[in-house]
Amino acid sequence: MGQDKRASVIGGGSWGTALAHLMAASGADVRLWMRNVERVAEVNEQHTNSYYLKELPIHARVVATTDLEEAVRFADTMIVAIPAKSFRSIAFEMGAFVTGDQILLSATKGFEAEHLKRMSQVLREETCARKIGAISGPNLADEIMAGQPTATVVASPYDEVIDVGARLIAGPTLRVYGNYDIVGVETFGALKNIIAIAAGACTGLGLGANSLSMLLTRGLAEISRFAERHGSDRLTSIGLAGIGDLIATCSSPLSRNNSLGRKLAEGLTLDGALATMHKVAEGVNTTNAVHMHAERLGVDMPIARGVYQVLFGGEKVSDVLGTLMSRANRYEHTERPIDEPEPISGSVVETALAVAGRRHG
Amino acid sequence: MRNDLRDAALVELRSRIVDACIAQAALDDGLPLDVLINDTLYHEKKRLETDRESPVRAQDAAFWDGVKSRLSKAGDSELKELLKGIVERFTEEIRGNFSPWVYGMATSVMPKALPLLLNALSPKRLMSRGMPDIAETINIRGNVEGLRRMNELGTVILAPTHVSNLDSPVVGWALFAMGLPPFTYGAGLNLFTNPVMSFFMRNLGAYRVDRRKTAPIYKDILKEYATVALEMGQPNLFFPAGTRVRSGKIEDRLKLGLLSCGLRAYINNLARKQDRPNIYVVPCTLNYHLVLEAETLIDDHLRIQGKSRYIIDDDESSRPRKILQFTQNLVNLSSRISVNVGDPLDPFGNAVDPEGNSIDSHGRVIDITRYVSDKEGRPTHLPQRDRVYTREAGESVGRSFKVHNVVLSTNLVAFTLFEMVRHRHRDLDLYRLLRTGDEGTGVTVSELTRHVAEMWDAVAELARKGEITLDSRSVSSGDATVIVQSALRHFGTYHTRPVMVRRGDRVFTEDMNLLLYYSNRLRGYGLERELQRALAEAS
Repeated sequence: MGQDKRASVIGGGSWGTALAHLMAASGADVRLWMRNVERVAEVNEQHTNSYYLKELPIHARVVATTDLEEAVRFADTMIVAIPAKSFRSIAFEMGAFVTGDQILLSATKGFEAEHLKRMSQVLREETCARKIGAISGPNLADEIMAGQPTATVVASPYDEVIDVGARLIAGPTLRVYGNYDIVGVETFGALKNIIAIAAGACTGLGLGANSLSMLLTRGLAEISRFAERHGSDRLTSIGLAGIGDLIATCSSPLSRNNSLGRKLAEGLTLDGALATMHKVAEGVNTTNAVHMHAERLGVDMPIARGVYQVLFGGEKVSDVLGTLMSRANRYEHTERPIDEPEPISGSVVETALAVAGRRHG
Repeated sequence: MRNDLRDAALVELRSRIVDACIAQAALDDGLPLDVLINDTLYHEKKRLETDRESPVRAQDAAFWDGVKSRLSKAGDSELKELLKGIVERFTEEIRGNFSPWVYGMATSVMPKALPLLLNALSPKRLMSRGMPDIAETINIRGNVEGLRRMNELGTVILAPTHVSNLDSPVVGWALFAMGLPPFTYGAGLNLFTNPVMSFFMRNLGAYRVDRRKTAPIYKDILKEYATVALEMGQPNLFFPAGTRVRSGKIEDRLKLGLLSCGLRAYINNLARKQDRPNIYVVPCTLNYHLVLEAETLIDDHLRIQGKSRYIIDDDESSRPRKILQFTQNLVNLSSRISVNVGDPLDPFGNAVDPEGNSIDSHGRVIDITRYVSDKEGRPTHLPQRDRVYTREAGESVGRSFKVHNVVLSTNLVAFTLFEMVRHRHRDLDLYRLLRTGDEGTGVTVSELTRHVAEMWDAVAELARKGEITLDSRSVSSGDATVIVQSALRHFGTYHTRPVMVRRGDRVFTEDMNLLLYYSNRLRGYGLERELQRALAEAS
C-alpha cells in the first residue's frame, strides 16, 4: 500500500522528524523538507538527525530535501512543523505550489503573536488549501522515537482530513483520536506551554506534588477560559490535546518549556536560559502574545501574567509565586472573590434586603 | 425562468428526487419507501389540521386520503407510483409562469408602483397618487460590473441581506436597472396571497415556497430545484439570512441552503463537462434610511431575546396608511434605498478575478476543480466535506456583508444617541434602559452633533480601511450638522412615534426600541468602545 501514500513534512526539527518517521513506518513515502544541507545529507545517508534526536534511527523511506517545491509537489498530504515565528513566511512560499486537493496539517503548537492567529489559520490565509487540520497531544518527540506508546489528536472540520491524517501517523505505538474542534485543539496546544514554563519554575524551586497539582489545575482553568472565549469546545480541555498535553509537558524534563522554567527558577535570566538551549521554546512568544490579548479581551489569566512578569519584567520566580498565593480566595468556577457579595438580581424586595443586610454586616 | 426551461427543469428534478429516494431505500440503513411516504403523509396531515387558510386545502386533503388508502396495501411498484405522485404534486406548485411580455410591462410599471406592490392594497389604488421615481430612490452602487461579468462567465447566485419585505421587489427592479435578466427565487407563499403581488412575483422569476410544509422530502425538492435551475444556467436570488433580520443588525448567522446548491450544481456541471460550469456568489447589501416594518421587527426581536421580560403595550397602526406614509417619505425626504453590490466569490468563498478565475489572498489563481476531485481527478460529491466548504463560503459572504454595509445618516445618528443615553444610564441593563429611555431630558443638539462628528471620524476611518461603506449622499460630506438634520427629518415623520425629535436646542428620544433598531446596523465594528471612551472623557 506504500506506493499510493505520499506525504511530506515541512520542517526538520525533532517533532517534524519524528512525524516523518511515523508516516514512513506506516507505509508512506515521505519527503522531509529542511533548510540545513548537512542535516539533509545526514538524514539521507546515516538516517539520523543527531542535532535534534541524537542517535535515534529514522525510517529509510524518509528522504530529506532542501527543495520546498519538490517537497510540496510530491505529497498528497503535508505536515507543517515550523516554529510559529517563521510559519507564515514558509506557508507563503508553499502557497505557490499547493493545490486545492492537498491536505495540510499543522503540528506547530504556538500562536502568531500580533493577531493571535492559529497556525491552521495561517495555512488557510497563505495557501489555497481548504482541507486543513492540526495535530496535537502528549507527544514528546524523543519518547515517540523511542517507541513508547502514546496517543494524539488530529483535529479538522473535515472528516477526510482526520481520516487521512490518522492513517498516516497511527501505528503500534501511536493511537489517533479525531476532533472537530480545531480551535480548541490548537489553542490548548499553544497555551499549555505557558503553564509548562510555570511548572518548570515550580520544580526548580524544589516544590512538591501539591504545588504542581495546584498549578496544573488552575492553569487548565485559566487557559480553558481563554480557549472558550475563542470558540473552543469545553470538552476539548479534558481531552488529550488539553489536559493530556498539559500533564506531559509539565511533568517531563524533556519538555523545552519546562526546562526553561527550571532554569529561570535557578536564577538565570530569559536570555541566559535560552542561550543554553538549542531548541525553540514556543512558550516564550506564546506568553507574550497571550498576555497582551488576555488583557484586551478582559480574560483573567493570573498564571500567564506571572510567567510574563518573570520572562519580560525581570521579576523573580519566588516573588511572583508570592503574589499569586496572596490573591483573594475565589469561587472555583465563577472566579468571584469569596468575600464579595452575590450580584444583585431578581426582585426589588430581595435587592433592598440584600443592601440593608450589607450595611449591617 | 423561461417556460420551456422551467418544464425541463421540473422533469429533471422529479427524476432526480424519485431516483434518490429509491436508491437510498435500497441501502441497509436507508429509509424504506413505505416509511418515507408514511412520514410525508404524517407531516402533511399535521399541516392540514392547522393550515385552514390554504385555498387548495380540500384538494390536498383528498390527495393525501388517497395516498393513505393506497399505501396500506401497496407493493413495491405501487410504492414507487405513490412516490412519483407525491413528488409530482409538490413540484407542480413550485411552477411559476414567466412571461416576457409581463416582465417588460412590469419593469416599466414598477418604478411607479413598487411601494404599493408590497402590501395588501387593491389593484385599483396601484396607479393612483404621486409615487416616487424609483430610479431616484434606489441607489445602486458597488461592483455592478463584476456582477454583470460573472453573469456572462457562469451562473450567478445573488445573495442580499434581508431587511424588509420590500427587498425582493427592490432587488428585482435593481437587476432590471443593471441590465440583467430576471433571477429565479423561492418566495414564501405569503407573498403570493395578495393578487397584485402574486401576479408580479410569479412573472418575475419567483417560485413558491410553502414554509408550512415540513416534510423532509419537500425541502429536498426545493433545494434540488434551485440546483437544477443553476445547472441550466438560470441565475438565482437567495437571501442567506433566511428571514428578515429582526434586530436591525447586519446579519452574521447565515442559512446556507442555496449556497450548498451552488456547490452541488458546480460539481454536477464539472461531472457533465458543461461549458460554463462556474457558479459565482455575489453578496449584496440592502440599506434603508427608514425600514417599513422596523417597529414590528424590533418588537419581535426583543420578545424573543427578552422572553417574558418584555411586554409590548403598543399596537402598530394599520398597514395601508403606513405604506402611504412610507412612500411619501421616499418622495419628500429624498430618502434612499441603497443596493451595494459586493465582489463576486466562488462556491468555496474565494475571491474571483475579472476573468472569473478564483484567486487566493495573494492574487494567485486557484484551480478550484481540485477541491472536489478524487484521487483520479474525477469530480465527486462528499456531503461532509461539502458542508464545510459551504460553511466557509458563508463566512466569506458574512464578511462581505459587513464591508458593504452602507452607513446612512439615520444609522449613524441613532447609534450615537443610543450610546449617549446608555452612557448616562450605564448601571441599567438593556431592558431597563429601553423602558427608562432618556427620561424626557434629552441631549443638547450641540452635544449630539459633536459626538456624531466623532463617530463620523471613526466610520470614515473604517471606510478608508475598506471595512464599511459610507453613503455617498447623506453621510459622506462629513458635516455632522447636515447628518443630524437628515436623520431628524427622517425620524420625525414616518414611524408611529418619532424615533427622535428636536425641541428647541434639545433632541429627545421618543422610541427607544426603534433607536436601538436603527443603531444596531453599526454594531460589530467596535464603535461602541470608542464612543463610550469619548463619553467618559466628556463627563
